Amino acid sequence: MPSRRRALLKVIILGDSGYVNKKFSNQYKATIGADFLTKEVQFEDRLFTLQIWDTAGQERFQSLGVAFYRGADCCVLVYDVNVMKSFDNLNNWREEFLIQASPSDPENFPFVVIGNKIDVDGGNSRVVSEKKARAWCASKGNIPYFETSAKEGTNVEDAFQVIAKNALKSGEEEEIYLPDTVDVASSSQQRSTGCEC
Amino acid sequence: MEETALYPPIEPSNFDLIVIGTGLPESIIASAASAAGKTVLHLDPNPFYGSHFASLPLNDLVSFLQSQSQSQSQSQFESQPSQTSDDYASTPLVTRPLYSALEFNSYSSDPIDSSRKFNLDMAGPRVFLCSDSMINLILKTEINQYMEFKSVDACFLSDAEGKLENVPDSRSAIFKNRSLSLPEKNQLMKFFKLVQGHFGSESEEDKISEQDLESPFVEFLTKMGLSQKLKSIILYTIVLADYDQGNLKVCKDVIDTKSGINRLALYHSSIGRFSNANGAIIYPIYGQGELPQAFCRRAAVKGCIYVLRMPIVAVLMDKDGGAYKGVKLGSGQELFSSQLILAPHLTIPSTLAPAEQVTTCHDVRLSDTKEKVARGICIAKNSVNPEVANCLVFFPPRSLYPEQITSVRVLQLSGNVAVCPSGMFVTYLSAICDTAVEGKKLLSAAMDALFCMPISGNSGNSETDNLCELTEGKPCLLWSTLYIQELTTFQGAFHSINYTPMPDEHLHYNNLLDATEKLFQEIYPNEDFFPTISVSDDLQDDGGSEQDP
Repeated sequence: MPSRRRALLKVIILGDSGYVNKKFSNQYKATIGADFLTKEVQFEDRLFTLQIWDTAGQERFQSLGVAFYRGADCCVLVYDVNVMKSFDNLNNWREEFLIQASPSDPENFPFVVIGNKIDVDGGNSRVVSEKKARAWCASKGNIPYFETSAKEGTNVEDAFQVIAKNALKSGEEEEIYLPDTVDVASSSQQRSTGCEC
Repeated sequence: MEETALYPPIEPSNFDLIVIGTGLPESIIASAASAAGKTVLHLDPNPFYGSHFASLPLNDLVSFLQSQSQSQSQSQFESQPSQTSDDYASTPLVTRPLYSALEFNSYSSDPIDSSRKFNLDMAGPRVFLCSDSMINLILKTEINQYMEFKSVDACFLSDAEGKLENVPDSRSAIFKNRSLSLPEKNQLMKFFKLVQGHFGSESEEDKISEQDLESPFVEFLTKMGLSQKLKSIILYTIVLADYDQGNLKVCKDVIDTKSGINRLALYHSSIGRFSNANGAIIYPIYGQGELPQAFCRRAAVKGCIYVLRMPIVAVLMDKDGGAYKGVKLGSGQELFSSQLILAPHLTIPSTLAPAEQVTTCHDVRLSDTKEKVARGICIAKNSVNPEVANCLVFFPPRSLYPEQITSVRVLQLSGNVAVCPSGMFVTYLSAICDTAVEGKKLLSAAMDALFCMPISGNSGNSETDNLCELTEGKPCLLWSTLYIQELTTFQGAFHSINYTPMPDEHLHYNNLLDATEKLFQEIYPNEDFFPTISVSDDLQDDGGSEQDP
């Protein structure tokens, strides 16, 4: 399956503890207890699987390992519009990502920024304005920006579309995956069920 | 240590288990304990995961080895069991050196200049057999979704000149092999069938007799009429014997027929298990250091708390009974747990040890083994065999020089497993030995057989650098290191404190995994070592169940 990696995009979600784990990604939890969410996205007539990695709490003491960052096709930076510090830390997370993942073209690596929890307290507790967030995104090479509410998942679909599009454009690290990665999971499945998946 | 000060205090302060060090055994136990519902805190003083099982950039590997090869100055913590919180005696932890005789050779600045493009295994060479117990655990715990693997394309047997011969390890490899005679091919094919019959057949006639099963494997092979060469192939490339099986005086691990054919069967069941693995052996992209990280992530998902860059300075003991209570961190915080697991380089000085020595619950492990492992890493621009990128090379006993009593095993990897920049090759070597001198002699002989050394002092001039490649037809070394690693075992230090071992001398993880599971069962006799996940769990989206603060 030479095109496996292309169809499967690794997306990692970074941000201050508490805003990342529970809120944004929970909306797309495919299986209970999995840290590892998948989301199908249709883009230009092809179906892609976004493999969304959350930090599993390892960000709390800045203890994410390099394996978490490796081979990411897109990095989603999430902050809470009601907490200034989470916005201030976006830059640290972005830099941490670039150091750890060391993508071959850091200038053009696809990031997406999401301002989360805009619905809390009817928007009254908001401390980071959309304008401010957009200005920061513009200054970092026009990072696409979205705002979502934890409850309703507003704009999440749009965000995923952009994530897929940008991740595909970058094609990061593709050469090492092609064409002969050993697929232990599906092979073992084949063996036990005897079905071609 | 400035960084630790930035961390918020760790909460809660009581755990079922505290684990120090993120080597593979520690990570597996943290993961298994978390899966069993225990509260686990997992700490590592290093800024990276994996401890002695890590894969590191070149410069980081060098500094880690250097830092672990000398006794850490204790002056910083030279205060004795004393002044701490009220009821506990604080016993400072010291670091013991587990690497020695380090040697680094740099013939070109290219590798160091791209240091970060390397992921060098500290405990290489090491691979997976597709059907081995570690791959089964990887699949069972589903951490295969965090890792990717590539095939190791070929296995070779080498002589002292570095002439490589394909190992006929399967039926199709026997068929294709050009160095075996026709009678040898028949012998080997017959033998493989015999072993297959032993495992596959119901009939007693096809079984190998009890008497044979208990005899040394080498004798059984002789009895079956296999030539010297075929015996060597089976014993050292498939069964992976360490010591010369033909010389019982020096052989410390005589392999009996029973375990010999078990390993052969494991090897053969590994071939073809995964559709796009060429042979029996695979290797993880980005290096073996991915494995402890994957187990740690699994543990984190189950609630284990992770703190890197956090030194532990002391163990807290009960003042009266001397029982283990907790640990004191570099940040000054004191944390408590029922059980403590320590990486092998940490020790509690025995003079300061409280009275209660372990005598009851642990038997085997009171002293470390005398043998050591010599390890080497070579970086070159060309492959030891132009036709393959990733391969194993075996130097059986007596192949390098007459007094060679242990095997030298070699694993070459290319940029396609992301362990080095493309256009370079990383080669790991290892051998078990009694002394550093012997170990270095073994590895140096193997390196001489496989590589040529550039003329020194010409590192700027690529034409002279490559001269040796042209004249000798061997890849030219760009950089190399040799080091001697101590072997340690699982040990109970005191009641409730256990040490994990250093990476062992093997090419695989089987022994290490068995011992890790055993330790887990000793600590938690009533828990499953990774219970099978029931698929019938609720698959519903749980997004709605979250609570807003």
